[in-house]
Amino acid sequence: MNPVLSSLRARQLSGVRCRTCARLLRREKRSFATASGAGDPEGDPEIYDVVCVGGGPAGLSLLAALRSHPTTSRLRLALIETQSLTPLRTFAPQPDSYSNRCSSLTPASVGFLDGIGAWRHVRRERVMSYGGMRVWDGVSGESIGFDVDGGGGGVEGVKEEREGTEGSNGGVVAYMNENVNLTSALLRRIEELGGVDILEGEKVEDIAFGEDTPTADLTSWPVITTSSGTRLAARLLVGADGANSPVRTFAGIESRGWDYNRVGLVATLKLSGPGWGGEGKKIAYQRFLPTGPVAMLPLPGNMSTLVWSTTPALAARLKSLSPEDFCAMVNAAFRLRTPDLKFLHTIEGGQKDEVSWRETHTKFSREQVPQDVVAVQPGSIASFPLKFRHADSYISQRIALVGDAAHSVHPLAGQGLNQGQGDVEALTQNIIYNVEHGADIGTRMNLEGYGKERYWRNHVLMGVVDKLHKLYATENLGVVRVRSLGLGIVDRLEGVKGWVMRRAAGERGLF
Amino acid sequence: MSLLRSRILNSNLPRELIATCTLTPPHREPHHRQFSVLNRPPPNYEGHVPLTKTERVGMAIGSAVLAFLNPRRAETNKDLIATLGETTSQPYFITRLRDTMLLTPSGRRILRLRPRITSSTLSLPHLRSLPKNTLGHTYALWLDREGVSPDTRDAVKYIDDEECAYVMQRYRECHDFYHAITGLPVWREGEVALKGFEAVNLGLPMAGLSVAAVATLKKGERSRFWGVYGPWAVENGVGARCLIDVFWEELLERDVGEVRRELGIEMPVDLRGVRKAERERRRKGREEGERSGDGLGIN
Ligand SMILES: Cc1cc2nc3c(=O)[nH]c(=O)nc-3n(C[C@H](O)[C@H](O)[C@H](O)COP(=O)(O)OP(=O)(O)OC[C@H]3O[C@@H](n4cnc5c(N)ncnc54)[C@H](O)[C@@H]3O)c2cc1C
Repeated sequence: MNPVLSSLRARQLSGVRCRTCARLLRREKRSFATASGAGDPEGDPEIYDVVCVGGGPAGLSLLAALRSHPTTSRLRLALIETQSLTPLRTFAPQPDSYSNRCSSLTPASVGFLDGIGAWRHVRRERVMSYGGMRVWDGVSGESIGFDVDGGGGGVEGVKEEREGTEGSNGGVVAYMNENVNLTSALLRRIEELGGVDILEGEKVEDIAFGEDTPTADLTSWPVITTSSGTRLAARLLVGADGANSPVRTFAGIESRGWDYNRVGLVATLKLSGPGWGGEGKKIAYQRFLPTGPVAMLPLPGNMSTLVWSTTPALAARLKSLSPEDFCAMVNAAFRLRTPDLKFLHTIEGGQKDEVSWRETHTKFSREQVPQDVVAVQPGSIASFPLKFRHADSYISQRIALVGDAAHSVHPLAGQGLNQGQGDVEALTQNIIYNVEHGADIGTRMNLEGYGKERYWRNHVLMGVVDKLHKLYATENLGVVRVRSLGLGIVDRLEGVKGWVMRRAAGERGLF
Repeated sequence: MSLLRSRILNSNLPRELIATCTLTPPHREPHHRQFSVLNRPPPNYEGHVPLTKTERVGMAIGSAVLAFLNPRRAETNKDLIATLGETTSQPYFITRLRDTMLLTPSGRRILRLRPRITSSTLSLPHLRSLPKNTLGHTYALWLDREGVSPDTRDAVKYIDDEECAYVMQRYRECHDFYHAITGLPVWREGEVALKGFEAVNLGLPMAGLSVAAVATLKKGERSRFWGVYGPWAVENGVGARCLIDVFWEELLERDVGEVRRELGIEMPVDLRGVRKAERERRRKGREEGERSGDGLGIN
């Protein structure tokens, strides 16, 4: 039997029934449903409640969330992902080796992932929580750092009650985690629950509105044709297909923004120790350089992950260096002054020697910067172009966008993936509400709540992140003075600092 | 920033946004530890005299006033100018000069090797023996003509950063090379022109302040400054590459004209020559006046 109809029946639809559903129900009496299994080009498309394009962090967590909630667990779900998911299923990492794609998850995101039963599957020994960040201005040297346990009014409110989560040191700002650790846990959760038709290694070839067939009128439904010729009709088509979202293109939703002419250079690094405070007191470091911020985020043991936003040309130079010189450059990025960094980017080699000489003439406190980088994990240096993009709308008739398909943001605040989790949480709530009220989960009107809420939240956040990038991407002395002054003023407002810290940890509620 | 932040704090914002603000709760790090005259910290290098802010400002004003009121003393007592130079260039100007050096390979090599220019590091007899067209010969010739020696430079003592102190030292020791390559003499008129050039080229406030000495020049000299040497100083100060990172010691055997071209320096009109011609003209004028007076008397 047609699964859509069955689920509609199961929910015993009340008066809130869209015309399409009503027609479908009527028709179903007259004809047999299509054979089970994916639809083929000749026959009718297979009908799903939710088709999710894209099996990244956003798409997988949406599916896991829908499957794990009793209200939505009977919806018929499909996933289309270009890449094979086998690497996620067989994820068996070496203890000392880490993927270069890591993201910091806020406690709010972790709370959500825990709620949908996915966090249990994350390899916890590879997740590093950190309780403090030290952030400073690379031109003025003005420090913006703080320590969660110590000063700044503290974040005692953010005690981790959740059983099994990292961070016995009380306040956790965020959890550093490999993206692959998260996605493989999400996939394990999805397969544990079962019931999602996964079309992996298949690309979306075409999306078009369906036809009015004897079995169903699909003229207002998106029908997806994959590279293997499979056809799927979606009551709700979710685009979790990343920055170049084909779903967004199909929906005719413009995505506006600009390129920063910057890339995020990432690498997995080995430091000389586990951090100045030892394993239990990890710290994240970020220094704003005129070319962009450079961040060192802690992983377990002596490992750390690097995100260095810089110009494409400078990134190319960094990539061309010997491992020794590359490590020296990373050390320099956290220690040396702008003129030194400028010069070091112009030479083809010998940075190691130059940096060790300059360190003796540069004032910095060793304990205020990351420990020395001693090695870079082979093959871990990569770079990604940084863009600012925001879709004009997150929704359209039978379409919803989540994650990078809806927005790309500068990684300086480590928010991209977390924003996607926020989208997924809100969309799931929206779907649950509609199902509970017997409403069609796909109509534009019923999606409006999701679209509005997330758009504005993300819009404001992205605006601030963008302004921060621009504010710090200058050496103009006037601007440097003013921004230092601004920081100095907030420093005096201890209460504000504590408040900010609590929000940083993703605590809910505004005041 | 503060505007941005107050907007953040005043509006009802989503929780994610606030995470961004974690980038900005600040903790001010003391830049310069304050001290008083009673507990002066130990020197950062040999000869260093750490000054309090008040002392620094006081000495800057004091030395400037003295140098201006009593230019003769400023000329004979180099220490006054040196004090003025050191107290006015810290922290901003000398750091900027050092940063300029850090941007070029030769500047960095100088900072790393820290060469000194004295009569023991540069053998004047050797320089005199170099071909006439070389920088080394020109330099030695200029020292001989002006009757100065490279050893008359004071040691730096009021610059706090040890590396910046070296930069100040280097600037002083290179000063004679600037004289030699421009051919400007050490008399006040030549010195003022060169200081103007340095002020523009190196961005040192003391050099700029010294240009005020133009007010103490004789009338003819002053109009020559505004008409000839002033414009020359500005044009060349801007046009030439910053001279602080020139490794003069490595250029001694090069053709001086070629070096000038590479650095972008044009020779100003020879001041000695101009003055000589001027004197000549005045003497002639006087003689002619006397003669015509005689004539009048005769008539
Ligand atoms: C250098 C860097 C550092 C970052 N650091 C952080 C951080 O610290 N914290 C943080 O929160 N975020 C961070 N981010 C952002 C974060 O990585 C992204 O926001 C996140 O990966 C987006 O997830 P997503 O699921 O929306 O999209 P993606 O991860 O892009 O997933 C999209 C999926 O769709 C699939 N797909 C695409 N087209 C098709 C198609 N036609 N058919 C089928 N499948 C398709 C792709 O194969 C892919 O698997 C960082 C980003 C960069 C570049």
